[in-house]
Amino acid sequence: MIKSLSKNNSKVILELKNITKTYLTGTNCFTALDNVSLKIHQGEFVSITGPSGSGKSTLMHIVGLLDNPTSGEILLNGKDISKFKEHQLAQIRNVTLGFVFQQFNLLAKTSALENVLLPLLYSDVPKHQRQEMGIKMLTKVGLLDKIKNTPAQLSGGQQQRVAIARALINNPQIILADEPTGNLDSKSGSEIMNFFHQLNQKEGRTIVFVTHDMDLAKQAKRTIIIKDGKILESKNA
Amino acid sequence: MLKPSFRDLLKSSLRSILKNKSRTILTSLGIIIGVTSVILLTSIGNGLKSYVTKQFDALGANSIFISPGKIFNDNGGFSQSSMATAMTTTFTKKDLNLLDRKLKNTVVMPVNATYADVKSTYAIKKSIEIDGSTEEYGKSNNVVPSEGNGRWFTNEEDNKKTPVVVLGYKIAQTLFPKSTAIGKKVIIKGKTLKVIGVVDQKGASFGGPSVDDAVYAPFSVVSDLAGNDNINTFVVRAPNKDLINDTKKSITKIMLEKYDSDAFSVFDSSQLLTSINSIISVLTIALTGIAAISLIVGGVGIMNIMLVSVTERTREIGLRKAIGAYPRAILIQFLIEAIILSCFGGLVGVILGSLGALAINSFFPAEITISSVILAFAVSSAVGIIFGVAPARKASKLSPIEALRYE
Repeated sequence: MIKSLSKNNSKVILELKNITKTYLTGTNCFTALDNVSLKIHQGEFVSITGPSGSGKSTLMHIVGLLDNPTSGEILLNGKDISKFKEHQLAQIRNVTLGFVFQQFNLLAKTSALENVLLPLLYSDVPKHQRQEMGIKMLTKVGLLDKIKNTPAQLSGGQQQRVAIARALINNPQIILADEPTGNLDSKSGSEIMNFFHQLNQKEGRTIVFVTHDMDLAKQAKRTIIIKDGKILESKNA
Repeated sequence: MLKPSFRDLLKSSLRSILKNKSRTILTSLGIIIGVTSVILLTSIGNGLKSYVTKQFDALGANSIFISPGKIFNDNGGFSQSSMATAMTTTFTKKDLNLLDRKLKNTVVMPVNATYADVKSTYAIKKSIEIDGSTEEYGKSNNVVPSEGNGRWFTNEEDNKKTPVVVLGYKIAQTLFPKSTAIGKKVIIKGKTLKVIGVVDQKGASFGGPSVDDAVYAPFSVVSDLAGNDNINTFVVRAPNKDLINDTKKSITKIMLEKYDSDAFSVFDSSQLLTSINSIISVLTIALTGIAAISLIVGGVGIMNIMLVSVTERTREIGLRKAIGAYPRAILIQFLIEAIILSCFGGLVGVILGSLGALAINSFFPAEITISSVILAFAVSSAVGIIFGVAPARKASKLSPIEALRYE
């Protein structure tokens, strides 16, 4: 196994230790992730790539606490959270992680602003501050004039920007994006990637994204290549 | 602290319900129908009860009745047997004298009823009950005409067989539509009688004859009309309410000297009232029970829609979980939606049921009681909670990634 080549000295936010994920499909046992270990440092911009079926999405879901590993440890800020209860994990997803999906996953018939405010519903942020925070976030992604629009009234790129604003609203430690440009045309896609770059460079945000597109993956500071559930390579750009 | 706050959850549930108006109305329809029918039926039951109570109050609270035949069975219900005895047995003047002599401080009034056509110069009323009794009967049964409507007959008129009658309100209206009946003549079985009074209007009756349809005459006059001086019923006025039971015992003792125990009945209005009310209660409970089944059907309808809604919104649930909704928040959100749906149904049902009861009240006694409204509403909300739990639990248990992948 190839060890992480990262020479990054900054703080480790997230660490996976010997993560294995197996699925039972009928009588067959399918190993999606095979003893994967990796570290994500503060301020990193990491891409995870590999052919389809390689396990990159499964890895992303485990990092995002949307799925449980079959075995192994997940350390968040040095704390093992693999034994956490569902409501504790929910809180981490709410406060520490910000998720961006390929399908945007905005609530239909609901305004951009309300979509952005959705995570605050499950957080401790006082009510009177919420509106202002949402408007600030939408301004940041350049959609101040669209706050009242519903997803159906927005383009794909705009929808993804609303989704990013939603991911950022609770000021998370890590932004996780699963094929964030997968449903976008190349122009909107590169806009989104530029926005991620900005977030990483100007604000020092930690960003991890999954893509099957090698060219896109190379834009990250570090690329993790995964194949057949194992990390093949982890290299810095 | 509950996150999100109850208000936030309520808001988001209301929003999702308002976004699907037709679904909301269709889902609530079962509950609406259930609550409406429960309220209507209990209102009719209560209305009937208070109507009957009022009617019996009019009979006079201190009155005891002696009737031929066994009217009540041992359980306080109506007896099925002895109807034949009731038809054939009559009491006689001798019984009257016996009762008069042996009972202290009471007034014994004989009643002889016969059926005949009543004619005036304007109209004819067929097969009207003509009750023959005494001066005291008017006071005792609360049928003495009020001032300006003539008077009740006297014992002197009874003794002299003076041909006078007192008419019920409706009969007087029919026979003398254009002017007052008092002082006019009516013809019964070929005999001419003078109208000396009209009883005040007592209100609608359902089924049986009401005071408004009755004709009263002195006992001796009715005996002549009927061709016999049999006595169908005795009305005995007890000195006061507390002595009713004692008086009933004395009467029974006196009557047993001459008659078999199942040849006559001694009862007071409260006894009759209790029997009738217990029948109405049983009917009301049975009918309300049937109506309540539709409440359960309504609950199943809500569960159905909520389960569909959970499936429909699987991705939304997945997303909410992915951005930090913990299972309880999802559970409560869906539960609130189910409760709102059923409470909405309950509220509409209460309104429709009450309006319906008011509408019915114009031609049939119906009385809305707060307790039935509260009960119907409470049951409908409970139905929402009970049938909302299963879908809400299903939603809360979904794994975030599987929910998000759901197509």
